[in-house]
Amino acid sequence: MRALALAALLAACNAPSSGPRFRAAGGEPRAGGTLRIAFPGAVSSLDPTIAYDELSFYVLHHLFDTLVDYAPGSFDPIPRLAERWEISDDGRTLRFWLRPGLTFADGKPIAAAHFKYSLERARTTPDSPFGPMLADVVGISAPSDRELVIALGAPNTAFLYVLAMPFATPQREDHVMAAGDNLRRMPLATGPYELGSWDEGQHIVLHEREGYFDPTRNRIGAIDVRENVPRDSQFLMLEAGELDTMMSPTPPDLLWVTSSAAWQPYVHRRSLLTTFGSRFDVTVKPFDDVRVRQALNYALDKSAIVKLLTGTATPAHGILVPGMLGFDDKLAPYPHDPAKAKALLAAAGYPDGFATTYVTTDDADASTLAQSLQADFAEVGVRVTIQQMSFATFATAIGKHGTPFAFVSWLADYPDPSNFLDTRFHSKSISEEGSLNASFYSNPALDALLDSARAERDPAQRAELYRRAERIVHDDAPWLWGYHSIATEVSQPYLKGFDQHPVWLRDFTTAWLDLDVDGERVRR
Amino acid sequence: MIGLVVRRVAWALVVIWFAITLTFVLTAAVPADPTHALLGPHATPETTARAKAHYCLDEGLVVRYGCWLEGVVQGDLGESYRTRRPVADILGDRIGPTMQLAFAAILIQLLVGVPLGILAAIRRGRWPDRACNLVTLLAQSAPSFVVGTIALYVLAFKLGWFPLSGYGVGGLDRLHHLILPATTLAAAGIAFYARVVRSELVEALSEDYVRTARAKGLPESTVVLRHALRNALGPLVTLIGLDLGVLLGGTVIVESIFAWPGLGREVVQAIVDVDLPLILGTVLVTSIAIAIANLVTDLVLLWLDPRLRERR
Repeated sequence: MRALALAALLAACNAPSSGPRFRAAGGEPRAGGTLRIAFPGAVSSLDPTIAYDELSFYVLHHLFDTLVDYAPGSFDPIPRLAERWEISDDGRTLRFWLRPGLTFADGKPIAAAHFKYSLERARTTPDSPFGPMLADVVGISAPSDRELVIALGAPNTAFLYVLAMPFATPQREDHVMAAGDNLRRMPLATGPYELGSWDEGQHIVLHEREGYFDPTRNRIGAIDVRENVPRDSQFLMLEAGELDTMMSPTPPDLLWVTSSAAWQPYVHRRSLLTTFGSRFDVTVKPFDDVRVRQALNYALDKSAIVKLLTGTATPAHGILVPGMLGFDDKLAPYPHDPAKAKALLAAAGYPDGFATTYVTTDDADASTLAQSLQADFAEVGVRVTIQQMSFATFATAIGKHGTPFAFVSWLADYPDPSNFLDTRFHSKSISEEGSLNASFYSNPALDALLDSARAERDPAQRAELYRRAERIVHDDAPWLWGYHSIATEVSQPYLKGFDQHPVWLRDFTTAWLDLDVDGERVRR
Repeated sequence: MIGLVVRRVAWALVVIWFAITLTFVLTAAVPADPTHALLGPHATPETTARAKAHYCLDEGLVVRYGCWLEGVVQGDLGESYRTRRPVADILGDRIGPTMQLAFAAILIQLLVGVPLGILAAIRRGRWPDRACNLVTLLAQSAPSFVVGTIALYVLAFKLGWFPLSGYGVGGLDRLHHLILPATTLAAAGIAFYARVVRSELVEALSEDYVRTARAKGLPESTVVLRHALRNALGPLVTLIGLDLGVLLGGTVIVESIFAWPGLGREVVQAIVDVDLPLILGTVLVTSIAIAIANLVTDLVLLWLDPRLRERR
C-alpha cells in the first residue's frame, strides 16, 4: 500500500521503537492463556470435507486430528489417532489400529467406521475437492472398532500423507445429517481444540478440548482469531501488544523488524511447500524447442526476484522444495547467463529473439515479478508483453491450450515428491481443461520413472528415482524455474514452543504462553 | 402524489431488474470456470461435471438465468461458491455494518460540512472562508487510503484513542470502533458538503427575500438559518441521496483498512473468486438500496419545495 510509505515516514519522525513491549515471564512450560492471532482474509468453511484453503486449514488443523500426522518441525509421519499401522508387502493394503479411548468433542467414542464414513463422504460429496485424492482406494473396511483397513488398487507410498489431511478426520453420520447446511459452522472436533464461537468474517474462538488424549497439545487455553485484518494493521496490533504473533509482515515491516535487534530473535522463517515459476506450453512454437526453454531459464535473474521479495524466497532448480525426499542438493539452479541464453536462442533459429505474451495474475507481486522477467528477457532479445488477469480467469486460462507462456505456482498438499512431479509433469495429468500438467509436457521416460517411484517402498531407492526424475525436468525445462517462498512470522517473546511447521505452518499445538502467575503478560 | 410514487417504484423495479440481468450476462462472459473455486486443482472431468450439475452450471445461459431468477423470486439467492454459505445469510450479516458506517459517515458530513459551509458563506472572502477553502481542498484531494492509514497510525496506534481494527461488540464499544472509519469515509464528503452549502448560501443571501428579511429587522442568525439556508437545502438533499446510494453499496478501502465487516469487502472478494451467486446477490441488494435512496430523496425534495409539486 502506498499509504504505508506515508505511515513509515511518520514512524521515522518518532523515536525508534525499543522492541517488544512485553517479555517472557521466565516460567516453566505451563497451560493456560489466550493466544490472539489474526488472518488477512476470512475462513471459508469448517467442514473438513469442503474447506480447501490456507486460512481454513490453520483452524481445521487445531480442530481435527487424523490417523497420521507429522512430527513437530518435520515431514516425518507419526501416529496421531492411530496407535500404529502396517503396510502390506505389495504396498496395497494399509492397516491401522486406533488408540484406545478416543472421543469426539461431544464425548462419544471414535470408531474405525467413522474414518470410513469421512473418506466415503469426500468421494460422494459433489463439491468436495478431495474425492480425486482417493482415486487409488478400492476398498475401506472396519473389521473392529479399533481397526481400519484401506485397500489400494495400485501401490502408492504417498497415500499415508493423504490420510494426514484434515478431510480424513473421523466424522459421524448422525452429526453430519443433523447439522445439515450448518455443518460448515458446526465442526464436531476430534483434535486438541473445539469451536467456541464464530462470528463469520470477523472472529473465531477455539477452546482447548476437555478430555483430549494428549494434554501437551493444547497447553494454550484458547485461540482467538480476528479475520479480515490487513497485514499492516496486524503489525500495528502486534507492536501495541494486541496480537501475540503475526504471519507475513508487509515488506517494509519485515525489513524494519529484522533490522531491530530487539525483535530479531522473534522473527521465524520457514520454507513452504510451494514452487513458483512460469510454465511454457511445450506443444507450441517457439516453446516446443528445448533450447528456447533452456535459453529463457538462463536469461532469468533469480537473484533479482529474491531481492524483490525482500528475501522471502530461495531460487529453485526444479519443482521439489528443499528438505524434502528426492530434493537434489547437487543440482544448481540455472545461473543467470545472458550470453549462453543468446547462443541457445541462435542455435534454435531465433538469433534476434522473438515476441511473446506473458500471462500472470493481477496482484502486486505478480506485476513486479513480471516486469523483472520482462527486463531480463529484453536483454536476450525476447520481447515480452505482460497481460494480467484476475486469479479465477488466470487459473482457467493456464489449464488449457491458448496461453503459451504464463506464471505458474504450486502449493503442495503434502510433502511427497509425487504431489509435485506426478501432478505437474506426468502425462496422465494432462487434460483438455483444468490441466494440472499445464505445460502439456509428455515424456514416456519420465512417466516410467515416476510410476516406479510411486510404488517404491525403500526411501533411499525412492529418493534416487525422484532425483533422476527431477534432473529430467530440470534439463527439459517445461517450466521457467523461479523460486520457493519462505513464510515469515513475528511473535511476542512470551510465545514459547512455537515453531512454524513445515506442513501446517501455523501450528500452535506445541506452543505455550509464558505469562506471569496471574496469567498476565509481563511488561518489559 | 400517490400516482407519482407508484410510477417511481415501478421504474425502480425495472432498473433493479436491468442491473441484475446485466450483471448476470457480464459475469457469464468472464472466461473463468467457477468450478475451480469449488473443487481446487485436483478436479477431474467427472467431479467437475458432478459439481456443475449440482450448481446448475451445466446448462445454457438462459436456463442458468432462469434457475437463478426462480430462486430469487422464492427468496433463495443461492450459495456462495467459496464458503457454501447461503448468500442471503452473508448479505444479512454484512448489510448492518455497512448501513451503520454509511449513516454515521453522512451524519458526520452534515454535522461538520454544513456549519463549515455556513461559516464560509457568511464570512465570504475573509479568513474563515479561505481557511475553509484550504481545508476542503485538502480533504477532497486526499484519498481515503491515505486519510485512513494516517488516522489509524496516529490516532489509534500512536495515541491509542481508538481501536486498531474491528467492529466492536455493541453499544459504546461499537461507537468507539465506528468513529475512525466513519470519519475517514466522511472526510471527502465534509469538504463537498461545505462547498455546496457555501455556494448555495452565497447565492441565496443575495436574493430579494433575504434583503426583505433583513429589512424587517430579523436577527442575522434567523435570516441565514431559517430563510436562506432552507432554500439552499435542495441540492444538499440530492447529494445525501446520492451518497447514501453509493455508501450502501459498501466501501471497499475503508472497510479493508479498519477490518469493518461490510458489503464492499465481501463483493470484492466475490469478484476475485468469480463467486457468481454472491456477486449477483450483492448487486441485487445494492441496486435496491440505491433505488430506495433515490425514491426517498425525490419525496423529500417534493416535501421541501412546493414549487416542484406544482409543476407535476
